[in-house]
Amino acid sequence: MVYGLSAIYSVFLWRKGFRQHDRVNYGLLLLAAIFHTTAMFKRGFSFDRCPVNNLYEATLFLLWTIVATYLVVGLWPRLRFLGAFAAPLLFCVGVFALMPGLDNSYGARPEFKHDWVSLHAALILLSYGAFGLSSVAGLMYLTQEHDLKFRKMRAIFSLLPPIQRLELVIGRLMVTGFVLLTAGLVIGAVRLKLPEGVSYFDDPKVHWSILVWLLYLALLIMNWGFAQGGRRFAWGAVGCFLFVLLTFWGVNLMSPIHH
Amino acid sequence: MPIVVIGLSHHTSPVELRERFAFAEAKIPEALQKLRSNGVADEAVILSTCNRVEIYAATTNADHSAFQALRQFLVARGDYEGPLNDEIYNLSEPQSVEHLFKVACGIDSMVLGETEILGQLKKAYDLALQHKHTGGRLNKAFQRAFNVAKQIRTGTNIQRGSVSVGSVAVELAEKIFSALHDRHVMVIGAGDTSEKTARALLSRGAQSIIVSNRSYDRAEALARDLGGRAIHFEEWASEFQKIDIVISSTAAPHYVLDRAKLEPLMKLRKNRPLLLIDIAVPRDIEPEVNFLENVYLYNIDHLQAIADDYLKQRREEIVRCEAIIREKVKVLLNPEQPPGLASGSRAVFGHE
Repeated sequence: MVYGLSAIYSVFLWRKGFRQHDRVNYGLLLLAAIFHTTAMFKRGFSFDRCPVNNLYEATLFLLWTIVATYLVVGLWPRLRFLGAFAAPLLFCVGVFALMPGLDNSYGARPEFKHDWVSLHAALILLSYGAFGLSSVAGLMYLTQEHDLKFRKMRAIFSLLPPIQRLELVIGRLMVTGFVLLTAGLVIGAVRLKLPEGVSYFDDPKVHWSILVWLLYLALLIMNWGFAQGGRRFAWGAVGCFLFVLLTFWGVNLMSPIHH
Repeated sequence: MPIVVIGLSHHTSPVELRERFAFAEAKIPEALQKLRSNGVADEAVILSTCNRVEIYAATTNADHSAFQALRQFLVARGDYEGPLNDEIYNLSEPQSVEHLFKVACGIDSMVLGETEILGQLKKAYDLALQHKHTGGRLNKAFQRAFNVAKQIRTGTNIQRGSVSVGSVAVELAEKIFSALHDRHVMVIGAGDTSEKTARALLSRGAQSIIVSNRSYDRAEALARDLGGRAIHFEEWASEFQKIDIVISSTAAPHYVLDRAKLEPLMKLRKNRPLLLIDIAVPRDIEPEVNFLENVYLYNIDHLQAIADDYLKQRREEIVRCEAIIREKVKVLLNPEQPPGLASGSRAVFGHE
């Protein structure tokens, strides 16, 4: 609910062109993060493991990484406006997490060692968090770039950083996400042994993960090798994460290993 | 002992008149001494800038005779014999103190909200203070004026934004580039506005300036002034690869830079952002180039519109500023009596 309030407040900040240091929005997201962290801790302690074992928990963990990063970055008043971009994303994904069927009861799969499962899941979810923030930076880039192109006054009034810096932020977050995703996938492939008769190559989630990995790799190569920066790169960051968001749950439900 | 102000400013008089009454800085202590020794003022500060000449005085004389004496002093000092109607204004309390606060805040300035005047006012006050021509009344009023100016600067938008074409260009550059200190600027056509814009960029740390002009001599002269490098007009495209900001102001009747010419140049630049500032009339840069990715084109009208918008915003802030000033003047002139003070005694500013 607090994420929702923050998202509604963000609409006003968008309309004002981010001209205020929005302490209110930061406060709302801080409050939401406190509730969120408490709930995650309670759940983790009650099941005695890191709460990333089903889709609902994975989604909440992803949200938590985004909000935690924002709260750290937002300590610098000039970057507090980032909440206006993060809040709608947090709210939408949060609502999605409440969909029926995501919070299934689970039991430990005996063939996996818990530590590696937790690390595999945590690394991959952290990578989605980095990709999410990269798409937030991409949205900021597109907003500012549009305002500069069309000579809107709010381009100058806004607290958004220069577009060149935003492009750098998109790239760095994407590299971070890519490294985390690669590490998570490697751990999954090398350390987690599947039972007899089950193959990674039959699992839709594995196919999907490789596709996501390839998409981000392509974006990074385009950026580094072919100087495809700016608007196309920002659209790429936003588009790829949108693809992850829209297909993540469906693919998980289809995957016998991950579901 | 009330504070009075007499003077003339850009609101009331042309520069031809203001310059007659202006005080050279070296002559101000002597003038202040004369004001006090003649009994015209007990305390005095003289503010003399290109836009105003004002005497702030605290005097025991009645307002009417004080103004008469101060006016005679000014006219005699300026050796002016022509007619004077409303060019010289006289202000007594509370308008005099209100005026001082407005001047300090830049509300009375030609460029609304500018901050240079505050420095000039501080300097004028320091000069009078050093030579012991101020006392309790003016000290308190000036100190308060400086505080109010600080409060207005931080609490309102009166000083926000740029109101000149050059500074708007700098702001735009700062919204595009992470930092200006490693940016390369090219000036095509050595005009006055392009020079000012280039100077504004240099003052914010732009790394180098390349000047290209049809007359190579003029390019060289401007490059020398700006600490940059001159190139022949035909060579500007070959230097384009490392350029981040272009200021164009040639007298060419056609486009100097069009989409067909810029597109391959952008590839050479690896699509790094490029800010194009076209201040020429007729325009030097084809508007179509703005459709190219990573190219941001602003012509003189766009820049002026932004500057005008800023000015409009500043004007909208005047009402807020004046309300704050009125409140501060009220507090200064009628401070609340401290508890326990006998009702008959007065410790009021300017009237103790």
